[in-house]
Amino acid sequence: MLITLPYDMPDLVTRAPLDIHRSTVLPEWVDWNGHMNVAFYVTAFDQASGTFMRNMGLGRNYVDNKLGMTFVLETHVTYDREMRGGAPMRFATQLLERDAKRVHLFHEMYHEEQGYLAATNEVIVINIDYASRRSAPWPIQAAERLEAVWAEHKRLPRPAKAGRVMGLAKK
Amino acid sequence: MIEPELSAPLDIHRAHVLPEWIDWNGHMNVGFYVVAFDKATDTLCQQLGIGWEYTRDKIGMTFVLEAHVTYDREVKEGDPLRIATQILDHDAKRLHFIHMMYHRTEGFLAATNELMLMNIDFETRRSAPWPDWAKARIDKIAPLHARLPRPRQAGRLIGIKKKS
Repeated sequence: MLITLPYDMPDLVTRAPLDIHRSTVLPEWVDWNGHMNVAFYVTAFDQASGTFMRNMGLGRNYVDNKLGMTFVLETHVTYDREMRGGAPMRFATQLLERDAKRVHLFHEMYHEEQGYLAATNEVIVINIDYASRRSAPWPIQAAERLEAVWAEHKRLPRPAKAGRVMGLAKK
Repeated sequence: MIEPELSAPLDIHRAHVLPEWIDWNGHMNVGFYVVAFDKATDTLCQQLGIGWEYTRDKIGMTFVLEAHVTYDREVKEGDPLRIATQILDHDAKRLHFIHMMYHRTEGFLAATNELMLMNIDFETRRSAPWPDWAKARIDKIAPLHARLPRPRQAGRLIGIKKKS
């Protein structure tokens, strides 16, 4: 059953890629190698996914109102360059595909000042009904907003690092 | 160095879901699955003689180049975890392997993590061949793992399948 969201929606950003998420490498994210630990790249990317979901109208309100949640099904990270504690991060997010209850996102993480690409994250996020804790179609407004976003994002070229299968290339 | 475990897969890593790993959805957060998996990678590195001491003694480090996680089932605070590790491939400076995380008492698969790990020289902070002792251990252990069937979660491509 499609649900209607009972709270106010934020202003929709349809600009492609979505480039509004900013963050900083926290001291507790740094490991004994003196750089951001692999796991916290995923945490940082998950927060960028949260920004994408908020733009769809599915932020903290969605969970607090016990309507639904969004779960990650699968994620793929390329670690391109090290990030030290305190490094400022800028994220660009491209919607690669969507269906009635899932989105396929591609995030790029940049060092905000030095400009280099630090990592990429390809991720599948699914909508979950709060009560049944099972997958369910996007709420009506979220689905409408997703279509408006898709209309812009589908024009972007597919990122080179999307769709990777891991392996050692044999020489 | 500890005596290496020769049974395949490597099935010695155990953990519990910590309270601080839980998010507002009431389950282990996606980032902390990777924290849990990274500790299993430490267990593997210890087996190869390139654990914490390797970095503490300023010899080298190991960096992850790429990671793929499948989130198969939720785990909650306090849940006991068992993580089994299978080496898939290796070369002069890289190791390709997959971790399978199970709920230790209920037995279900909670998640998998496929990884590409690279050896790093401490001084230059650049890739370098495995040290002799690690290479010897990889050469001994990898063939034992190669006999195992390849998990279907390895080598996955992310996407939304189209229903036609």
